[in-house]
Amino acid sequence: MSSVKLTVDHLTAFYGENPAISDISLEIPDRGVTAIIGPSGCGKSTLIRCLNRLHETVPRTKVEGRVLLDGEDIYELDPVRVRRRIGMVFQKPNPFITMSIYGNASAPLRLNGRLSRDAMDAAVVHSLQQAALWDEVKDRLEAPATSLSGGQQQRLCIARALAANPEVLLMDEPCSALDPVATAKIEELVKRLKEEYTVVIVTHNMQQAARVSDFTAFLYLGKLIEFGPTEDLFERPTQSLTEAYVTGRFG
Amino acid sequence: MTEDPLSPSGAPRGYDLEVRHLTDRAARMGEWALQMVHDGWKAFDQGDRQLAQNVLDRNGKLDLLDDEMEHAVIAFLVLRQPAAVDLRTAAGLLKMTTHMDRIGRLGYDMGRLTIPVTGPRESPELRALLQRVDDVVEAMVRQALEGLEHGRVDLARDLFQRDDDVDRMYRQAQRTVIAELGKNPAAAARLASIVLVTRHFERIADNACKIAEKTIYAITGQRRTEYLPRRPTRLLYDEPF
Repeated sequence: MSSVKLTVDHLTAFYGENPAISDISLEIPDRGVTAIIGPSGCGKSTLIRCLNRLHETVPRTKVEGRVLLDGEDIYELDPVRVRRRIGMVFQKPNPFITMSIYGNASAPLRLNGRLSRDAMDAAVVHSLQQAALWDEVKDRLEAPATSLSGGQQQRLCIARALAANPEVLLMDEPCSALDPVATAKIEELVKRLKEEYTVVIVTHNMQQAARVSDFTAFLYLGKLIEFGPTEDLFERPTQSLTEAYVTGRFG
Repeated sequence: MTEDPLSPSGAPRGYDLEVRHLTDRAARMGEWALQMVHDGWKAFDQGDRQLAQNVLDRNGKLDLLDDEMEHAVIAFLVLRQPAAVDLRTAAGLLKMTTHMDRIGRLGYDMGRLTIPVTGPRESPELRALLQRVDDVVEAMVRQALEGLEHGRVDLARDLFQRDDDVDRMYRQAQRTVIAELGKNPAAAARLASIVLVTRHFERIADNACKIAEKTIYAITGQRRTEYLPRRPTRLLYDEPF
């Protein structure tokens, strides 16, 4: 197994007094895709939002335990810096609607400091290429982001996240609003991204988890039931709850 | 949790019934193959041409059952996209039906070797030994099918031990045939066929074990190498009786 990028150590996250996830520990390997699956309300999104300190942006929330990025506790670092290192893509494509395609792909670069126009152009091309969008938009970079299809918008959001040069990319159900063709493109992209990034993907779609991930975590009622190589989890899970879930017997 | 998530309603779902149906169909195919072995051996032992021809005629249906099973399992895989136990069962059934087809084919092969037994034949001792091999091998196939049909890992596991018995009987039969060839050269044609028949029995037992192996995999997810250590293989004539 490759080295560990993120270590989740006895993590419990609350909304008010209620824990949405409790006592979760797992090790997310570097440069691999880790999928988080489980029925609605099991805490998948809460878990992923704890990995870049987004959970705490909601009022009356609290986190206990640790999340280590390369051994450093992210809860002891500046959250803005954490989110620069750990990017995120959401369920619904959310490009900046007032901006052009170029404006979206270059937004993190402009926030992060001064770059020459040439350097910025090169970085935009690079991130759009990484997001497998370049060929489709290279002739209309100044068109509004909203002129793109849903799948293209989602890849633009991925390009925007990658432009910040993160180490980890979190994806919260990135395909749930997309059709099968757009979904297939994102899945291909996810597989390619793992060569350079650590990817954590939350998905409702078990076949998607099986297709794209190397490791899978199954959550149920806020608890981590099973975590292991994806092939094992779908072929011969060790826990009867996992067995029941992946065979569609509940959830 | 208010109810058992493994069985929320307590009643089998359509999905479970489909898996059950596939398993039952495979077991029926296995019984068809087993009957071919039973009658193929009987035709050979008794030199019954009519029964032998009857066994040969059953091969077409064996092929048909094999094709139908393959089609049904592939449809299940495509339409249901099963995981875990359901996936293992479907994958296991694909392999199992191949082994069932081979079992039936070996029964067919025994039927094809049938020659009239009006002339010189094997000794009563060898004939009795072959009958014992047939009894054991048929019982093994039956047990493999029962293990599959009733999801009985214990029945499946027990077969590996019995396969060793068959291997011993196989070697004993081979040596007996060689000894008889010297004493009874007039029966050479018959004895040569018996060499093949004993080999067929040994292969049938192996195929029964493969069915058991896939049953264990379907139920537990364990592969053979995880519960049976691989043994070094030796030359046949270096093996003890």
